[in-house]
Amino acid sequence: MKKNVKVQVNNLCKSFGDLKVIEDCSFQIKEGEFVCVVGPTGCGKTTFLNVLSNLLEPTSGEVLIDGEKASPRKHNLSFIFQEPSSLPWLTVEKNIAYGLKAKNKDKKYIQEQTEKILDLMGLQKYRKAYPAELSTSSEQKIVIGRAFAVNPDLLLMDEPYGQMDVKTRFYLEDEVIRMWKELQKTIIFITHNIEEAVYMAERVLILSNKPAKVKDEVVIDLPHPRRVDDPRFIEIRNYITEQIKWW
Amino acid sequence: MKNNIKKFSTREIILNILPLVSIILFIFMWILASGEGKIIPAPADVIERGERLLEKPINNITLAGHIWASMKRVLSGLALACIFGIPFGLLIGWNKRCCDFLKPIFELIRPVPALAWIPLMTLWFGIGESSKIALIFIGTLMPVVVNTYSGVRLIPRLNIDVARAFGATEFQIVKEIVLPCSLSAIMAGVKTAMGTAWIVVLAAEMISANSGLGFMIIRGSDVADLSLVILAMIIIGVIGAVLSWLLTLAERKLCPWKEEIN
Repeated sequence: MKKNVKVQVNNLCKSFGDLKVIEDCSFQIKEGEFVCVVGPTGCGKTTFLNVLSNLLEPTSGEVLIDGEKASPRKHNLSFIFQEPSSLPWLTVEKNIAYGLKAKNKDKKYIQEQTEKILDLMGLQKYRKAYPAELSTSSEQKIVIGRAFAVNPDLLLMDEPYGQMDVKTRFYLEDEVIRMWKELQKTIIFITHNIEEAVYMAERVLILSNKPAKVKDEVVIDLPHPRRVDDPRFIEIRNYITEQIKWW
Repeated sequence: MKNNIKKFSTREIILNILPLVSIILFIFMWILASGEGKIIPAPADVIERGERLLEKPINNITLAGHIWASMKRVLSGLALACIFGIPFGLLIGWNKRCCDFLKPIFELIRPVPALAWIPLMTLWFGIGESSKIALIFIGTLMPVVVNTYSGVRLIPRLNIDVARAFGATEFQIVKEIVLPCSLSAIMAGVKTAMGTAWIVVLAAEMISANSGLGFMIIRGSDVADLSLVILAMIIIGVIGAVLSWLLTLAERKLCPWKEEIN
């Protein structure tokens, strides 16, 4: 199942003028894999994701999805931003349908996908509500739903739970894991929270300080749901912490 | 507890009758200020003048006809301003190059009051309807454009990034993100423009017209019929209030996600 290479990154570099943010990153991600990228704060994680999703042009190197140069027009990319990014003027159901609409899918398909996601995310009863009427965690669920609705080749998540309290964070992490298992999507999840990475990912890529390079990678073979007090969990967490050591 | 409920309901009652009290008080002061030998006609005189107007129209145009004449000019001018102003505002707000190219000219024309255009407009369009509508168009174009422009400039970057990440085209972004996002700013501009439109239409009608509320005022002034003047003023006030209320309703309908409007 998880044999095909979905994402291939070759010698990726990104500079802003003289400032090198990413230097010579190369790695592969297999189809249906859940990969977390951790690194010290300010090491260029967001830039890294913006280049991967083609919101920014790389200075050199390339990102290939299914062997083709990644492009938001050609590939189904989904992006979940750091800040809650639901569109305030659209109802929950229209927010979820938004990505499909932007990609000009046909009406019937949009409707089917929206229904499916509303069911999966448990948002049916709020479908006519506006995001401002919901709690932060429900608003973030809209965004997660919208990202999954387009049936993404690759789902990129940029520290989506950075600003949230512990309870909401665990709840939404479980939601993402559930959706990932259900829909078998390839996910790259960026975070500075090591526990979060170990809790979710099948594999963790560790970035170095600026300019960011892939310093190490750790395969996490624990089954989901994971327990944060499992000795193996703690061992992996400590190892990654040791690798980062930004303080 | 009982006391509490009573207190609350008294408060409610006071809040509900306050607007009524203020109007009654105003009329009362008006009555005091008017009367024999004073230069302000009493409310009764104005009402009586209104009744007389219904029987004996000015210039063979009924009261409703005069109201409609002004209204038609205001609405046509304003509609034209929206048709041209909103896309123009979107364009200079969204496209950096268009902004650099067109905004300087716009900034030069903007401070010129609409009334300064009267001679040119009369020369180009004559003294008929078109020159008045053109004048209102110029006067209302500015607030519509300025508000649309700033509405677009203030759109959170994140909303646009969401669309970009999903691969939306420029046209889709403008239509589905930029327009709805700046809608409440645009509506604020239309409201301001509505006020400007009335100023301009009255001035235009006072200079040359044989219908409209501005014409009524100038006719009243010419024959020292102050009741007629005040009648026209009251009608303008009421229409203005009603239109602004209608626009607020429309805004609530168009932007239901905005909670703070009511």
